[in-house]
Amino acid sequence: MNREVWPPALLAVAGLVAVNEARRLRFGSVTVPGPGFFPLVLAVSFTLICLIVLVAALRAPAATASSAAGDAREAGEGVTWKVLATLAVMLAYAFVLEPLGFVVSTCGLLIFFFRVLDGLRWPVAVAASALTSVLTYTVFKTWLQVRLPPGPWGL
Amino acid sequence: MDVAGGLLYGLGVALAPGNLLACLVGVFVGTLIGVLPGIGPVATMSLLLPVTYAMSPTASIIMLAGIYYGAMYGGSTTSILVNLPGEAASVVTCLDGYQMARQGRAGPALGIAAWGSFIAGTASVLGIMLLAPPLTKVALSFGPPEIFGLLLLGFTMVTYLTAGSKLRAVAMALAGMLLGTIGLDPITATPRFTYGSLTLSDGVGLVPMIMGLFGISEVLLNIERGVKQEVFLTRVRGLWPTREDWRRSAAPIARGSVLGFLLGILPGIGAIIPTFISYALERRLSRHPEKFGTGMIEGVAGPESANNAATGGAMIPLLTLGIAPNVVMAVLLGAFLIHGVQPGPLMIRERPDMFWGVVASMYVGNVILLVLNLPLIGLWVQLLRVPYGILFPLILLFCVIGVYSEAGNMWDIVVMLVFAVLGYLMKKLGYEAAPLVLAFVLGRMAEESLRQSLLMSRGSFDILLTRPLATTFIGVAVAIVVLPAMLPGARAALRMVGRETEE
Repeated sequence: MNREVWPPALLAVAGLVAVNEARRLRFGSVTVPGPGFFPLVLAVSFTLICLIVLVAALRAPAATASSAAGDAREAGEGVTWKVLATLAVMLAYAFVLEPLGFVVSTCGLLIFFFRVLDGLRWPVAVAASALTSVLTYTVFKTWLQVRLPPGPWGL
Repeated sequence: MDVAGGLLYGLGVALAPGNLLACLVGVFVGTLIGVLPGIGPVATMSLLLPVTYAMSPTASIIMLAGIYYGAMYGGSTTSILVNLPGEAASVVTCLDGYQMARQGRAGPALGIAAWGSFIAGTASVLGIMLLAPPLTKVALSFGPPEIFGLLLLGFTMVTYLTAGSKLRAVAMALAGMLLGTIGLDPITATPRFTYGSLTLSDGVGLVPMIMGLFGISEVLLNIERGVKQEVFLTRVRGLWPTREDWRRSAAPIARGSVLGFLLGILPGIGAIIPTFISYALERRLSRHPEKFGTGMIEGVAGPESANNAATGGAMIPLLTLGIAPNVVMAVLLGAFLIHGVQPGPLMIRERPDMFWGVVASMYVGNVILLVLNLPLIGLWVQLLRVPYGILFPLILLFCVIGVYSEAGNMWDIVVMLVFAVLGYLMKKLGYEAAPLVLAFVLGRMAEESLRQSLLMSRGSFDILLTRPLATTFIGVAVAIVVLPAMLPGARAALRMVGRETEE
């Protein structure tokens, strides 16, 4: 399955799930719509459009297959791990942010970015991360009074 | 209050120390993020939304609006010096601006971009002042059918003027509207798609969605591509354009200002499309169209004026109707609502301080931008030399702060990351995020206005076809869909806009 086909196929499946979920809400009638009217109409329309895009993609296989190969090259498969690593680390950061507090968790996050992704030397990465974390906390929490988690050590 | 009186009153508000500082911060931050590739005004405004909670409503809107038009100024600097658009509305400036820089004329290119932006920005504020008050009177006659008609027109335009596949844009708009139905039903308060979750009963947050789709996803793509910024190392000299530069740029600036302002008013257009149309127009009107792309100053002056004028035009539907014509205005609408102010036809009467204060602050902001930016070019050049490996962690960090601080809920960061993955995939696969976000914001309003219309008419759809304004909006929306299929000229025009946008 090439890259022109699977996105509309997946979206159509998501649309069908939405249709199924919207059917559980009270539809009302066309003239007096209930809470389920709009979601159902939207979900059905969305699914239909995705199916049309899917059919169009299936009917033009040769062009899309070659463009898929080209795009994959363009994407630079060798560096995609950086994207996955960034997402994984940020997800972990979301879960440790409140228990560890802003400064500690942010310092860890930045060390990863500066050392692992950008290749800075350890001392530089650690110092830059600590400084940035404390500075942003001071600016946003203390000066701008933005809500940030203090953590167990008050940082 | 007449227009002159309104402006004087507004200047009094805008020049109050707190508001002046907000304006200064807004335009400075706007220019900064305009210069930096990878973070645009939408994500920045969302990021700073929580910061405005402690500010007065007027100062908040002045600052957020400043970010928008400030970004239009800043974007041109990166386009000219790095051949990389700092902001999406400056893409077209790369074509001739960078070539001018290569020929040693970076100074005049930056100078004419700044002056064009200033003239267009000021002209568009004049346009707001003259058009908004009479339009608010018309807007008072707007009921739910008219609002539904206008929103339908907006959805149609945003999908039909999109660069890529129209069908994909329609799919994204429908997905956005569907996401907008998550939460409580606006008429009966029945929970929809909430599955008992308290977080979902408030609906999907606009800020995590925007940060994910526009901010984080862009950074992920840049990390993957390994962005290398090669700033022009020659000294930037002679920022004041020559007499010949002015002679060649005067008409493009005037045309770009009018075009940008008028197109900016229309729902779904935004600041990007006017730049492409302005560039195409200048190329068509030029005696040497073949030289465009080789360093023609007209190719910088017209589009840079158009994008700034469009920011002013876009304020009109927001201030007079309370309708966001593009994604940036959707964030600004959110800011108004967070501060307990409903923009719309009654605002000019009920909150004249805010209406005239914001309008006058745009005058003040444009002056600040001109005074600040030309001397600060050196600073922006230094900033552009900061390696992306240092910049992107900071951009990601600011996105996290913006999202978390809105409600103090770590799940919002998770939602942002989900939309980041979605936005990353959408960009790689050729699906646009703008129709999704705009439809997400306006979809709820569309549902509400349609259901209210049907309640008014006791269930008859005739109400949409018997009220002149509503019928006109719906008629234009239908014409946009039907005419290209029937008239070759209209089809060619739409194709041209699409092609220019893609290029």
